[in-house]
Amino acid sequence: MKRNTLYLAAAAAAVLAAALPAFLGAYPLNVARSVMTYMALAVSWDMLLRSGQISFGIAGLFGLGSYASALLVLRAGMDPAMSLVFATLFTGALAFTIGFAVLRLRAMYFSITTLALAEIFRIVLHNLHDFSGGPEGVVLPGVIFGGDTRALYWLCLGGLAITLGVSWYFEKSKLHLALTAIRNDETSARSSGVDIFRYLLIAFTITSTLQGMMGAIQVQSYGFTTPETAFDANFTLLPLAMALLGGIHSTLGPMAGAVLLGIASEWLKLKIPYGHLVVYGIIIVLVILLMPRGLVGLARKRRTGRGA
Amino acid sequence: MKRTFVALALIAAAAMAFGQGTIKIGATWPLADITGKQGSMAAQQAVDEINKAGGVLGRQLELIVIDDELKADKGAAAIEKLVTVDNVDLIIGGMSSGVALGQVPAMKKYGKVVVATGAASSTVEAALGADADWYFHLHPWDYNQGASYAQGWDEIQKKYPNVKIKKIFLAYEEGAFGKASFDQTKILFGAEGRYQIDGAPFKSAALGGGDYGSVLEAAKMYKPDLFLWAGYDADALPMLEQAKAMKFSPGIYLGAPPGWPVGFGTSRLSENVMLYGMWAPSINEVSPVSKKFYDGFVAKYKAEPATYFAPLSYSAVYIVADAIKRAGSTDTAALIKALKETKYESPLGQTVTFTPAKIIKNQGIKNQKILQWQRGRQEVIWPFESATAKPVYPFPKW
Repeated sequence: MKRNTLYLAAAAAAVLAAALPAFLGAYPLNVARSVMTYMALAVSWDMLLRSGQISFGIAGLFGLGSYASALLVLRAGMDPAMSLVFATLFTGALAFTIGFAVLRLRAMYFSITTLALAEIFRIVLHNLHDFSGGPEGVVLPGVIFGGDTRALYWLCLGGLAITLGVSWYFEKSKLHLALTAIRNDETSARSSGVDIFRYLLIAFTITSTLQGMMGAIQVQSYGFTTPETAFDANFTLLPLAMALLGGIHSTLGPMAGAVLLGIASEWLKLKIPYGHLVVYGIIIVLVILLMPRGLVGLARKRRTGRGA
Repeated sequence: MKRTFVALALIAAAAMAFGQGTIKIGATWPLADITGKQGSMAAQQAVDEINKAGGVLGRQLELIVIDDELKADKGAAAIEKLVTVDNVDLIIGGMSSGVALGQVPAMKKYGKVVVATGAASSTVEAALGADADWYFHLHPWDYNQGASYAQGWDEIQKKYPNVKIKKIFLAYEEGAFGKASFDQTKILFGAEGRYQIDGAPFKSAALGGGDYGSVLEAAKMYKPDLFLWAGYDADALPMLEQAKAMKFSPGIYLGAPPGWPVGFGTSRLSENVMLYGMWAPSINEVSPVSKKFYDGFVAKYKAEPATYFAPLSYSAVYIVADAIKRAGSTDTAALIKALKETKYESPLGQTVTFTPAKIIKNQGIKNQKILQWQRGRQEVIWPFESATAKPVYPFPKW
């Protein structure tokens, strides 16, 4: 019964999200796209975190997806919609290859290496002037779907839906058990027959693919990219903050964090035009300090407390 | 009956006047950056001055500013809000080319009149295309700036024969702004072998860098007559300090950031550093409009304008107000026609008109100025008609 209620709530939320363009104007839909993009990145980051691996490579893979999609359109003459698929697959394939090297590392060595990925990709694209446009980036002939606000919203929603679906699968399948076992104690997991490298490679490849997909959607929605835009550190830092605020190791936590921080950011900007970023930063620091388990963790604690 | 009719007519007229409300000017700038902060403040100053003088067409102006946070997606969302939620009559502002690129699709979608104060990269011009007749670009494009500097140095060398430039080294921040500056410098200064050009990139302190050792070393080895750096205000003092530590003293030490750090002139290191810009407080001596702007800004905000984005944004408001007055309405077609006929004596020390650029039809300012920090003040060296001082040459040894 409880599970059925949950599925019904999820279905209702999905229908509501899909129907939003019927009620909202261009500006709220634009803000919603931004929130959904960060939400997908936060959830995908959390999916790998469930194995205990802290990746700082979100911006790198997001940017890679952006550039792959833009260059497929510009250099290979591919249809923008097709470029989304191929850019996503390209990011996944590259992540699979890189995974063989970086997943031999653990803890901060893994984190630092993933952080370096974004910088390496950025520098490479900076220097491939004739191919990537160098520091000035590339401008596409147009925005996908002719820039139609509703279509762009649904495209982004589609990307988010795929991410949430995969995350849900991560939570419900045996993958969840394997990743949790790896996080809790790698040695015990290995002695229990868990193929650690295989599971980590699967998780790293899938989460990277999702991040690349969101990058591809982003570039087709704005019609241009530059190394500084595509590999902006905010694409790493904000999803982390959102996941920490909402609560890690779940799908719901990063979602809640993304909604709250995404809307708070826009609201603060309109209310405090000068200095809103300072207030925003203070809120993030305070929330993380005072609620280390995030909103979902806090809710669970209260529920457990009440039950006891 | 007659009295009732007259009363009703008066009420209706008042309601119509009230219904017309204010003329809404939407604007986006990066408010955490000195350019956007002072640009928006100066625009508000212009709005207040115009409203105090009775407004435009009997209506008050209202400025609605949104922070673009120097991010393309935020800049695009800001345009959507200004047009669809705030229902602005036209849009002004902007600083970063990257943000402008993100805003172009939304601007094209709505076709509102835009008077842009920023975006120097010609990539933005290419993205706009020749059909964007609603786009009025006040800031010079990168190729305008390069051509202007080449002309300026030619004229300075002719007038002051002791100034001799053959070798130029450009240290440029590794982003789009710096790279575009380097490319244009190579094209415009390197043409016909007049100058020898070399350069190297650096990571700006504004973007997490701040170590200029390798780029300054490369410059020192090249022994340039003119050393030029294209970066941001955060690079100004640290680069000078490192140049001093390395005893690097080129004939001309020149910076081209969009704005200088507040109080840069009070540092002893600033003495005789040259700069590219559009405006300096010293222009007050040759331009009454500049003095009016400057005095008004200082009186209102108790601070000195530290970037040319302040008078540029102030000019944008006066230009649109004047165009609305001549158009007699805020109708887009009428406004475009009126803006094309703009002739505005600006605080930048020059009259602004709109003429075609390489692609777009409405380009405002095409030239910059060459200035020099002398005794804590920015003095105009070139163009000579607005010069406030002679150049100090060469840049003294440390």
